[in-house]
Amino acid sequence: MMPRSAPGNASTGMDVGAGVVENLASSMIALDFDAEAARGLGSLVMTTTETAQERAERFERDAMPFMDQLYGAAMRMTKNPTDAEDLVQETYLKAFGAFDSFTEGTNLKAWLFRILTNTYINIYRKKQRQPYQSTTDELTDGQLHEAESHTPRGLRSAETEALDRLADSDVVEALAAIPEDFRLAVYLADVEGFPYKEIAEIMGTPVGTVMSRLHRGRRLLRESLADYAVERGFLVVPPDAEAHP
Amino acid sequence: MSCGNPHATPCTEVLSLLYVYIDEEIDEVHRIEVTAHLGECPPCVEHFTVERRMKERVRAACQAQQVPDQVRSRIIARIQQVSITYRYE
Repeated sequence: MMPRSAPGNASTGMDVGAGVVENLASSMIALDFDAEAARGLGSLVMTTTETAQERAERFERDAMPFMDQLYGAAMRMTKNPTDAEDLVQETYLKAFGAFDSFTEGTNLKAWLFRILTNTYINIYRKKQRQPYQSTTDELTDGQLHEAESHTPRGLRSAETEALDRLADSDVVEALAAIPEDFRLAVYLADVEGFPYKEIAEIMGTPVGTVMSRLHRGRRLLRESLADYAVERGFLVVPPDAEAHP
Repeated sequence: MSCGNPHATPCTEVLSLLYVYIDEEIDEVHRIEVTAHLGECPPCVEHFTVERRMKERVRAACQAQQVPDQVRSRIIARIQQVSITYRYE
């Protein structure tokens, strides 16, 4: 994780215009807002490097094209369009407010996803009054190897064929039903194609935790998809019935 | 249950590398070992195929998601509002 610092907006005496952004940004505690303290000196910094207008234009040009991807992730997180819209909007407002702390040339997509994830955790999870979906990330060797013996031949290929026949909506539902941390890890890896290291940065966890979340998430998802396939008549034998007696 | 043939790398080891392999997070030495094993072990191939297909299905199902036009307009308007405030005050 990057080092964190408390927002320093109380003592910096920033101008009125920045206040809108500051108020939003100040609700954020998990991002590194080192730049917050510097924003009081913003007019000085910006005139020497980039004007506010240039920065706003750069933000619109570089950050806005990620909206579909952020919205897709927001939908998987919040599970409803209204909250997803709010979450994406909050993410962009915070990203805009902190854009001078973003180093051009580094991974903007990962940076935006980290803001999205933190915003979701800090605001929406509290708002929805959902207890943190505690997930045990540590896998014992026994658990790791539990699934790692061959199932009877043929079942896996039947499962593969069944997967092809499932509707997108069934896949989305099955994903929505697995615990949040697992769901997000699977989403970031499979849909967004982030490397483990970046998922770790986005989720604020070690790479090992990302790997165990992926492992468990995919196992749960596969079991769930097999259930859907059986229900739809695409699969006759639940694959795990024999694999895990 | 295995295909019964001897392998340079045991099935259990290959299966423990399944995710790092399909996620392309595996180092080159192990990648070559796993690829060689898959060339001679149909049961392991089935495991890899179903997991890879699942990854593809998740990606395909979720990528259909796009921001509705109205939502996009509202978000852009809000950002521009803040952006302009920020720019001129």
